[in-house]
Amino acid sequence: MITLNVNGQTKQVNVDPATPLLWVLRDVLGLTGTKYGCGIEECGACTVWIEGGAEKTCQMRVSDAAGKPIVTIEGIASTPIGKAVQQAWIDLQVPQCGYCQSGMIMAAANLLRRTPKPTDAQIDAAMSNICACGTYTRVRAGIHRAAGQ
Amino acid sequence: MNDMMIGSASRLGRRALFTGAAAGGLVVGFGRPPEALAVGPLGAAHQGAMTGGAAPGATVAAAPVTTATVNVWVVIGSDESVKIYGAGAEMGQGIISGMAQVLAEELKVAWFRVTTAQPDAAPKYDHPVSHRRFTGGSNNIRSWFQPLLKIGATAREMLIAAAAIQLNEPASGLKAANGVVTSVSTGRSLTYGALAPIAAGLTPPASPPILSAASGYSLIGLPVKRPDIALKVNGNAKFGIDAMVPGMVFAAIKQCPVFGGTVAATPAVPAGAMAVVNLGNAVAVVSTESTWKAFQLARGLAVSWTIPPATRAAQDSQAMRAAANAIMANGPVTQAEKIGDLAAGMALAKNTISRTYSLPFTAHATMEVMTCTAAVTATSCEIWVPTQAPDACQAKAMALTGLTAAQVTVHSMFMGGGLGRKGETDYVVQAVTIAKQIGQPVKLTWSREEELTHDFYRPMAISKLTVGLNGSGDIVGWNNRIVSPSILARVFPAAVAGGLDSQSTDGAIGLPYTMGARFVEYGILTTPVPVGFWRSVGNSLNTFVVETAIDEAAAVAGMDPLAYRQKLLTSSPRLLGVLAKAAAMAGWGTKPAAGHARGIACRFSFGSYVAEVVEIATNAAGQVQVVRVDCAVDCGTTVNPDSVAAQMQSSIIQGLATALWGKITWQNGVADQQNFDTFRMMRMRDAPAINVQVIGSTANPPGGVGEPGLPPAAPALANAYFALTGKRVTSLPMFGGG
Repeated sequence: MITLNVNGQTKQVNVDPATPLLWVLRDVLGLTGTKYGCGIEECGACTVWIEGGAEKTCQMRVSDAAGKPIVTIEGIASTPIGKAVQQAWIDLQVPQCGYCQSGMIMAAANLLRRTPKPTDAQIDAAMSNICACGTYTRVRAGIHRAAGQ
Repeated sequence: MNDMMIGSASRLGRRALFTGAAAGGLVVGFGRPPEALAVGPLGAAHQGAMTGGAAPGATVAAAPVTTATVNVWVVIGSDESVKIYGAGAEMGQGIISGMAQVLAEELKVAWFRVTTAQPDAAPKYDHPVSHRRFTGGSNNIRSWFQPLLKIGATAREMLIAAAAIQLNEPASGLKAANGVVTSVSTGRSLTYGALAPIAAGLTPPASPPILSAASGYSLIGLPVKRPDIALKVNGNAKFGIDAMVPGMVFAAIKQCPVFGGTVAATPAVPAGAMAVVNLGNAVAVVSTESTWKAFQLARGLAVSWTIPPATRAAQDSQAMRAAANAIMANGPVTQAEKIGDLAAGMALAKNTISRTYSLPFTAHATMEVMTCTAAVTATSCEIWVPTQAPDACQAKAMALTGLTAAQVTVHSMFMGGGLGRKGETDYVVQAVTIAKQIGQPVKLTWSREEELTHDFYRPMAISKLTVGLNGSGDIVGWNNRIVSPSILARVFPAAVAGGLDSQSTDGAIGLPYTMGARFVEYGILTTPVPVGFWRSVGNSLNTFVVETAIDEAAAVAGMDPLAYRQKLLTSSPRLLGVLAKAAAMAGWGTKPAAGHARGIACRFSFGSYVAEVVEIATNAAGQVQVVRVDCAVDCGTTVNPDSVAAQMQSSIIQGLATALWGKITWQNGVADQQNFDTFRMMRMRDAPAINVQVIGSTANPPGGVGEPGLPPAAPALANAYFALTGKRVTSLPMFGGG
């Protein structure tokens, strides 16, 4: 049994400890907002917050996340910055297919809590997530909007 | 992806029910009509919660709501909610919202009350004329615009008729607006929520309802918020890959790396696996634990394949290029367009430009991989799938199971991108076959590696083009020979019986430019690599060639590329309109910043006119950076200008990324690109600023918007590269050794 702390709740999971956190969230806990895109930490669709940082979870052993506070897209509305990013995303109609946007929002909100007023260069450096719909123009604008810029 | 559409069984002969006849009924429940079948919590969230303008985390009132089905598309709640079903397939383009917006225009309801959903596959949701349901070819708004207006107006008239009964007044004295029917004489009014149960029992009007004049539109043309967006910021949107049904297990797949290869012997079930299923050209491995476990088991599985050596050798980029070169040199080719006498035209030429252009195979690379969940019993088959072709999925499942249409239920899930790839049904056939064999519900998920190596790829193409210019720079001869694999040869062989594939020549013939003689030929290249519909199809190949050549012709003529196009486009006022607009937006004619350069291109496709100006610069590392794109689009009647702008932004990013880096290559049967470490996608740091202006007019019918933004991007980029470096780009991708 591995104990996870997800979105403020304690969960016990009985899985192979080598299972990536992504797949425990999705297939075991039913938190399907976090997405599989590549499995090699290239695209960022699987990004969640772990212990205050944005982490890709498609290769992270679930045992390495045991006991650490995890926030997923389903829980981010409980943080002021997460809520602000979500609202900016709606206001500017950022998502298209929306598949990558969970990871995009987790990365954007993480940037904003470290850098409340990011420059475009800081956005470029922090946001490596892939969006095949090409929402980058709106993601950038959404980050600025959530920052109150 | 094309106007002919692929894969769907025709339903001619079945009566369209869009008028609502025989479709009325009263439903009491929690906002879900019977056709939106419950699939546990997933179904409720997916089908019921796309609420226009809802804030993230908004809660739904707990009290039961009575709903009434006015017609199969419109379900009205006692809480005044209006649920509108959209026959389109949502893959990011906002089609369900857009279709609901058109219907709601004539229904006369406030947008914030509208929720949307995708119905299950059924004839009653097919197009009333084509009797099909397929999303592709940027076609839904174009083909559904008038039917949706009629559906909305018919429902409105039924609500008015219900009010006439309740108020005991003639319907002619009643007016509907904002979800309320009001008596003009007495001012008495009733809401749609109160009227819907009565309206649901009425016979639809026999005569077609009167539609508003375009000048009277109050909803069409507004940048309304898409109801699905609120679900896409909090993890609640249910994509195909998110399907979860009771008793479900997880499958992964290992497909023969060489197309045409087969499984020599079914491998033994490995330790930790529940089952192995031989799919002929692939093996599926089933795990009870997780998709990841299934991935691991599939990856580790040793499969013995039967691969003809010649097939392996032919699945090779150099071999395929050599085969294309042979057809280019020796044929066979077929005449696709002949206007005037080429030899006579070329005899007038003072200058000629002759180039051979080449474009690579490339992948769709949708962010959501191929995935399908299926549950099969002796009497039922239920499928949850991200698909552009729900009818085709149903037909395939019927063929595999021997069940009837009524026994096969297809739930359309949100697609994490479609781009033409999810109009195919290969992954559906696999999932249904696995589910049938193991006798348990199963979710099949491909790995990214399987997705990139088993696509129906955008075809490669080579194009040899000679352009003759007279002393004034006018085009007196245009001679183009195209060699490319044929998509229709696979999906509609009868359509290529004469040697031509209309998809392969789309964008190469019927050009809007004033020219003298034209002669265009096409030769089919047969490859082991399967090809399919990829955003804008032939336009994505041919527009690169044509718009690059026009740019070069301008240079030879000593003219500005914009002015040259304006000179040759006198018969196309709408292309001239977008060219002028995009040029003005970009400051065309002003000097770019030092180290910057601009390029321009335009194209009419899928009913819409688009011009783009791309500005590039060399960055500190000496690499080309796309700085900015200005885009003007004339798509005629515009339903949601913000969605149109989003599609232009999307197409531009995909068009640029593909021109810069996009390709799949093979060496002796093995793909060189297997994941995003080697198949480069555009990221934030690469992405330009994009400005879009939508200049359509209701004087013209709606054009498509999902694809027409893509074709001009690559040539505008290549033309900017010429302006910056003096070098012509004739081979794509520009970087990465294409």
